[in-house]
Amino acid sequence: MSNRTLTLLMGFVAFLILIVGIVFVIAVVGGGGGSSSTAASTSPKTSSSGVTGDICQGNTLVTFGEDPASVLDPIQVRDVGTAEYVIEIFGGLVTLDLNLKVQPDIAASWKVSPDGKAYTFTLRDNVVFQNNRKVTAQDVKYSLERAADPANNSPTVTLYLGNIVGVLDRYNGKAKDVSGVKVIDDKTVEIDLLQPSDYFLAELTQPVAFVVDHEQIDKDPRNWTQHPNGTGPFKLSQFTPADKVVLTRNDRYHLGAAKLDSVVFELGGGSLLTRYQNNELHIGAVPPIDLEAVKAGTSSLSADYKPQPLMDTSYIAFNTRQAPFDDPLVREAFAMSIDRDRINTVLLYGTQRVATSILPPEMPGHNDQVAGYGYDPAKAKQLLAQSKYAGKMPHITLTYAGAGGDAPEILQAIQSGWQDALGITVDLQASEYSAYLRDLRKGTYQMFDAGWAADYPDPEDFLDKLFASDSQQNEQGYNNPAVDALLKQARTETDRTKRFSLYSQAEQKILDDAAIIPTFWPIDHTLVKSCVQNWPSVAMPVPKYRYISIDASKEK
Amino acid sequence: MGAGLFGYTVRRLLWCIPVLLTVSVIVFWIVRLAPGDPVDTLLGQRYDPAVADRLRHKYGYDQPIYQQYFTYMNNLFHGDLGVSTRHQDFTVKQVVLPKMWVSTQIGFYAMIITFMLGIPVGVYAALARGTFLDPLIIGSWLMLDAIPIFVLIPVAQWFFALKLGIVGLGYDGVYSSHMILPILLLGLPGVAGVARLMRASVITVVGEDYVRTARAKGLKDETVIITHVARNALLPMVSIIGLSLPGLVGGELFLEELFGIPGIGQESLQAVLAPDFDVVLFLVLFSSTLFVLANVLFDLLYGVIDPRIRLGEARG
Repeated sequence: MSNRTLTLLMGFVAFLILIVGIVFVIAVVGGGGGSSSTAASTSPKTSSSGVTGDICQGNTLVTFGEDPASVLDPIQVRDVGTAEYVIEIFGGLVTLDLNLKVQPDIAASWKVSPDGKAYTFTLRDNVVFQNNRKVTAQDVKYSLERAADPANNSPTVTLYLGNIVGVLDRYNGKAKDVSGVKVIDDKTVEIDLLQPSDYFLAELTQPVAFVVDHEQIDKDPRNWTQHPNGTGPFKLSQFTPADKVVLTRNDRYHLGAAKLDSVVFELGGGSLLTRYQNNELHIGAVPPIDLEAVKAGTSSLSADYKPQPLMDTSYIAFNTRQAPFDDPLVREAFAMSIDRDRINTVLLYGTQRVATSILPPEMPGHNDQVAGYGYDPAKAKQLLAQSKYAGKMPHITLTYAGAGGDAPEILQAIQSGWQDALGITVDLQASEYSAYLRDLRKGTYQMFDAGWAADYPDPEDFLDKLFASDSQQNEQGYNNPAVDALLKQARTETDRTKRFSLYSQAEQKILDDAAIIPTFWPIDHTLVKSCVQNWPSVAMPVPKYRYISIDASKEK
Repeated sequence: MGAGLFGYTVRRLLWCIPVLLTVSVIVFWIVRLAPGDPVDTLLGQRYDPAVADRLRHKYGYDQPIYQQYFTYMNNLFHGDLGVSTRHQDFTVKQVVLPKMWVSTQIGFYAMIITFMLGIPVGVYAALARGTFLDPLIIGSWLMLDAIPIFVLIPVAQWFFALKLGIVGLGYDGVYSSHMILPILLLGLPGVAGVARLMRASVITVVGEDYVRTARAKGLKDETVIITHVARNALLPMVSIIGLSLPGLVGGELFLEELFGIPGIGQESLQAVLAPDFDVVLFLVLFSSTLFVLANVLFDLLYGVIDPRIRLGEARG
């Protein structure tokens, strides 16, 4: 072939590539004003050029979030990721502050009847929806009845609002309205309970109890969640699934307008750490592999490292209805042969907190005196020898939710602990998530790896839900009449000190029975840029973005 | 040619209908019978049997499976693709179409790069056969292909974004400079494969009698290469392009994950795991439809490119 031919051919190709390149550039320039113009006009642009400028100069916080698992309708919210947006957009009668204490939100104050079964809320005068319509007692009644309406299929209403008179009747189609929610006048609403409950207000901070605008829902029942009209500190200005959620400040917010202009949640994930280092995000997360260096202070990220303890507990649970774990001695032996401190130091670089009891330290009612079994392999061996399964131990399998491959390292370490201390080989088996959940409820697993995250800051949410013999969530099949009696008494006890002491007694009994082995209280390994001010440390999602500001002068 | 080709086209398209119906039945059954219950996943640990029953009724999962199938197909013909359970109360349209469009555009640009570079590289390598240039060119492109994309991407991100600081990483729309790196990383590794096919194809064609004849009649080199060699050597490329088109809507899991691109790859994986019945069904049915149609289309295109493959007319 002559060189001329090749040159010509290459020239032709170069021409084609040039054309494609020009089309692309035109599209880049044109596209900026075209397809994304609606988004750009309502939301501040985060980064328009390839290289992001100094993110500390603007007044927009860029963080990451999860793709919502439901539409942004408070009564449909069922996961922490979606709740994070909904609690900023909407509000209810009460809310949680940064110390996880219940505080008035739409309600200014409330009175509890002497029998503890009637709550009378007086609404604030200055609460308006984001479209400036005033919130009245009728809006509260509408919102709670809407949550209980069976046609709306709320997945959470029976769980959190079932104690309100008439909610379950409405949900089961036995009533046309919720008789326990009564409008007294425009700014007074009474809520009646089936049983007195000291944690009712904590339940009311849940999204399912938030106030929504019935005018908007009537007008646009299908698509109102794409531009919801709430009462919260932020408005939803953009939501593109898998891409981003943008919240902008609600200037009329009755508890004090936010300092930030807007908050951008990037939903795509991507290489979070790289993007954080590239100054595209204010908030980042430390991947496990970098934890050791970051924690030791030898990484450039160490200065930004803000470990965030969570109100969660990870645990290994026994099926107490099945051999061999129907024998408490076997359970105790298993509990005593896990060296959690060593797992934490060796495997986790000391970044986790070893759970000595069930309730995490952030949980009100956590009691340092309550403790489960410590590491004691000699005693464990002895207990196992006394158990009724001594010498005839059946084959044991521990199931966890996962997609196959190697089991999580922590489980492998626990497995080898049992092997070393007790000489028992436990199989680790992964199960697909929804099958795992279903079999848990059927009670087919011998033992399983699980965790529980607090819905609201009250020990009832852990102890009653997980260990009461009549609870749907008691997958251990744990049944101790003494514990049941304590939990039942605590449900209706309105004196908080007494109630928490009842929970402490119940918790100690549960741990003595080794119904579960608490392993760790997890920690989020968060990175926060130095120019972000007042980033709060709070163990569960509460409205927090209105406190935060950005100060370029604090940038390092 | 007109009537024959038209008849052939209609016949081929009519045949697509039973194929797709069969696919829909099989896929529907597989999706429904596979382990995993969307309502279990939706409620997670906060399971309440009364709530679960209501939700199963709402989504129609309490009906017999054949009833569910007919309801689904009926809705499908009325343009209703169903609702997602993983993204509760979003319609499949809302969940899938925007993501599919993002993936398709990125995949399309990457594919243009792959073929625009692969074809000339292949031709060049074929013409340079016997010299050291041939293995050098193909080999260097193969190296790029040999590195797994989940290794290539982080290295490229580190180098171009952190080290050189010339690109941003987050997703900022398909038409932004942030997408140059992902499109290149998606397109370039494919060059080697296309080039090798093209090289083999050109080598076969160059040896053909008609090429020698064309040369013998004194045609210029470039005319011979472009009109005689390249045109004929492109034939196998057409089917490669054709069969890779439906794949464009499938998205690219690693790339989307690592660049935070809101594409369909990640959604597909999660939809299967959840499981999110209607989303999985739509994704599978949509890509089977595309695949079947692309097959028909490119069979017809063959006829245009190579007159010897003209089916169903005259002799047919």
